[in-house]
Amino acid sequence: MFSVLRAIWDNTYGLLVDDGQLAVGAIAALAITWLIAASSSEALRENAGWVLLVLVLALVIANLYRAGHNARRRTG
Amino acid sequence: MDAATWGLIIATFVACFVEMVEATTIVLAVGITRGWRAPLAGSALAALTLAVIVGTLGVALVTVVPEHLLLVLVGTLLLLFGLRWLRKAVLRFAGIVALHDEEEIYRKEVAELRAQGLRRTQWDWVGMIVAYKAVLLEGIEVAFIVIALAAALRHPLTAVPENWMKFGVGAMLSSFGVFWFGEGVGAHWPGDAASIPLILGAYLVASWLAVRLLNGLLPQGARVEARNV
Repeated sequence: MFSVLRAIWDNTYGLLVDDGQLAVGAIAALAITWLIAASSSEALRENAGWVLLVLVLALVIANLYRAGHNARRRTG
Repeated sequence: MDAATWGLIIATFVACFVEMVEATTIVLAVGITRGWRAPLAGSALAALTLAVIVGTLGVALVTVVPEHLLLVLVGTLLLLFGLRWLRKAVLRFAGIVALHDEEEIYRKEVAELRAQGLRRTQWDWVGMIVAYKAVLLEGIEVAFIVIALAAALRHPLTAVPENWMKFGVGAMLSSFGVFWFGEGVGAHWPGDAASIPLILGAYLVASWLAVRLLNGLLPQGARVEARNV
């Protein structure tokens, strides 16, 4: 039973997450955007979407750069 | 229909096609190696399971959850899906992850299934479960995308430019994810849906930069497994 539940969890997790750091980073970016939208001035809230876009793009580039470094280290 | 709706339709169609290719690769491998009855039964059972999931979860999501919360939820799911596809596609373009991995998946699946053997007299549970799992998992990916957006035979599949589709859909899903999450938390997009092409353009530029960056790091590529990078 435990192994079946584990398999279900692993497969569901795998549907959304290829790279844990990217997923955690994306959720952090979403949380930051939500906080900005919820607790700041009207002007900042209206631009929260652009903040999210910048955060996500920076995250993607940083994640891919790290992946490239890891691959270089592995292939030595 | 406006441009944003057409964008949604195209992204949904291409996403469904990519997932269909992935599931079909595995069902083909099972059918050709072990016979067709069990994988077809597994595929039909998976389709039934999907219909139940979409009929219950999908309807509940669209009718019960408040609109702004639905936008936040949908935006989050699309962003997670889209970034996952975009990342894999960029790594493939940079030569770090092998292209044409349907062919490799097909070969690996056939080898594994042949190694397991089969007695002709018994029902092929292995073949049925492998097909069921493949169709269900790929189908759930499609179901996620569709629910959100709706608020030969041996080698022909390898000819599909899968990475370009995955790249395009990854960028589009991520763009819709950012757009809807922003709307859900009360952000204002200039021109409303007209800003989606701008967001998409930003993703494309960032992806192009990332491919250049990776080509600079690893000019010969690396061909390592995606999970190792």
